[in-house]
Amino acid sequence: MSALGSLPQVLFSGIAAGSVYALIALAMVTIYRTTEVLNFAQGDMAMMSTYVALALLVAGGLPFFGALLLALVFAAALGAFAEFALLRRAKEPSVLGLIIITLGLEMIVFGFASWKWGGEPRDMPIPLSPTDVVVVGGVIMSHLELATIAIAATTIAALFLFLNRSKAGLAMRAAQQNRAVARLMGIRVRRVEMGAWALAAVIGGIAGLLVGPAATVEPYMMWDPMMKGFAAAVLGGMTSLAGAALGGAIIGIVENLFGFYVSTAFKSVVPFAAILLMLAIKPSGLLARHYVKKV
Amino acid sequence: MLKKLGNIAALAAGLFALAAPVAAAELTGVTDTEIHIGQWGPQTGPAAPWGSVARGTGMLFQMINDAGGIHGRKIVYHMFDDQYNPAKTVAGVKELVEKAPGVFGFASGVGTSPGLAVKDYLMERGIPWVGPAAGSLHWITPPQKALFSLYPLYADEAKLLVRQLVEKEGKKKIAILHASDEYGENGHRGAVQEMQRLGLKPVAEVPVNQADRDLKSHVLLLKESGADAVLMWVNPTHAVITLKTAAALQFAPQWATSSTLSDAPLMQTISGGLWKNILFASFSELPDADTPQMKQYREAFAKYAQKGERWGVFFMAGIGFVEPMVEGLRRAGRNLTRESFIAAMETIRNYKGILGTVNFGPGQRQGAKEIFLARTDDSGTKITQLTPWAEVK
Repeated sequence: MSALGSLPQVLFSGIAAGSVYALIALAMVTIYRTTEVLNFAQGDMAMMSTYVALALLVAGGLPFFGALLLALVFAAALGAFAEFALLRRAKEPSVLGLIIITLGLEMIVFGFASWKWGGEPRDMPIPLSPTDVVVVGGVIMSHLELATIAIAATTIAALFLFLNRSKAGLAMRAAQQNRAVARLMGIRVRRVEMGAWALAAVIGGIAGLLVGPAATVEPYMMWDPMMKGFAAAVLGGMTSLAGAALGGAIIGIVENLFGFYVSTAFKSVVPFAAILLMLAIKPSGLLARHYVKKV
Repeated sequence: MLKKLGNIAALAAGLFALAAPVAAAELTGVTDTEIHIGQWGPQTGPAAPWGSVARGTGMLFQMINDAGGIHGRKIVYHMFDDQYNPAKTVAGVKELVEKAPGVFGFASGVGTSPGLAVKDYLMERGIPWVGPAAGSLHWITPPQKALFSLYPLYADEAKLLVRQLVEKEGKKKIAILHASDEYGENGHRGAVQEMQRLGLKPVAEVPVNQADRDLKSHVLLLKESGADAVLMWVNPTHAVITLKTAAALQFAPQWATSSTLSDAPLMQTISGGLWKNILFASFSELPDADTPQMKQYREAFAKYAQKGERWGVFFMAGIGFVEPMVEGLRRAGRNLTRESFIAAMETIRNYKGILGTVNFGPGQRQGAKEIFLARTDDSGTKITQLTPWAEVK
């Protein structure tokens, strides 16, 4: 096959990888839209949920979907707990201070997982095989990749409806735009923020459950997807759901194109170059409409 | 005010006078009853499967201490997790060396890049370092007085693997997948040189960045090259991702790997059963080898190993890379100094532990050169030794 003949395969691989980045980006955007906090623990919280799923699957002997569901319940609880026990406790919090708390949370979660499960990689057996494939028009698609794209698309659509069409979604946006007024309007801001953290942890957890089987489950498994998800969120504008999804797809596709046609050695630099480029050209991101606070 | 300043100055001078003798005295890490030895190793992070090297060394030291130590001294072992991150290796090594009582020397230590980051620091101070757990040319080019290398060179493994693939298995189109660090480059260079000697060129040379989790473009490049065999110098997680991606892309060459991926049971488990029919190089006896030494170590493992530990190649490597250091400490006698230890190490000839035969001498710092090739079967669980222990010429 010629190099150009591989283009559809490279593009498909990029979209599959980008779907995971999009999920992470969505999780970050969900928290950012509500609290203006960048959660750098998002990836490792997802890793924890993946380990819980693995423990339920392997040690607990639970059926796949049962383990998956319980792991996502755990993810929600972990997100809510992090907001309640750590973020909310900050005295006179500045956004920067809260972001630093998330960095601390990342280290705690990573340290805990390394202590509890050790550093050795583990295999995550799931029914969606990364090696069983369907071939469409010469493009090879694994069951896991197809499921990843489908799950990401469904999650994005559901989240879009929830945040833009439901009262809870409106409350989240109100909480970000003006906490005091939101509170005066009867919105229980703290509860809304806790809800955002729980929701984001579930979305991140889904990403973790898709990353694990494609490779191995290990404490550092989400470092790379997390950084690329963050890049996707910045690319999309930090507040836009569609932007996050688009950012994820762009990063996935561009890095795969770069890896295949230019250099695999510098492939992982591409997302960061994208961040720099975006911040230099259009700091607000591709699709974001930033709410400007009046003073 | 002046009096206050005077007091502070006097206090500072007093503290300086107290501290000066400690700072001036060399921290040798040896007391009447103890020998302090350090080691770094990734207990977490991408190279964590290699972290059992440091734990294997811990078991060897425990065995020695329980048998009475060495010339009346017990070994105090300081192991730290550097996550295969050279910056952390440097910080940890400096802390051990510069904080009382210091360390006598370093045993093994995983990784070319982490080791390179501290090599000059250790050598400038004459601190002995035995058995870096990485087969790099950097340890012996040029030979360093206090650095005794045991891991056979990745370049030699590469040569043997290429010879096997080309001369015995008739492969003509060989591709190389390698980490874009010193470890990967060492193997890569060795393979290219050997192919040149045989009149061949690699059909693809694909570097992998340590951070990458998505290797589809890498595997597509290998597949596009039409390779009938692929040599790998990557970490275990990257090997698993490569095999899973290759299986999905219906690409099935003969995989051949460095000894760093020679823990076949581990690789078979974490790859979900894809570690079949893999050709690999080995620098130590196979885990179930029937030699008296190996039996003794397996018995010790049953006694000392922590719950959840596994008797595998890397754990064993932590023993094999440090056996000669223990031998050197024994030969140096009760009057142990770094000089006497180095002199004792140079007397080690035809020493056979669980690595190949070890020979050191004045100016000779690559102790073990023998390796062999082995292959996993179609079930991925049974390992067959293909070639005898031999030095690669």
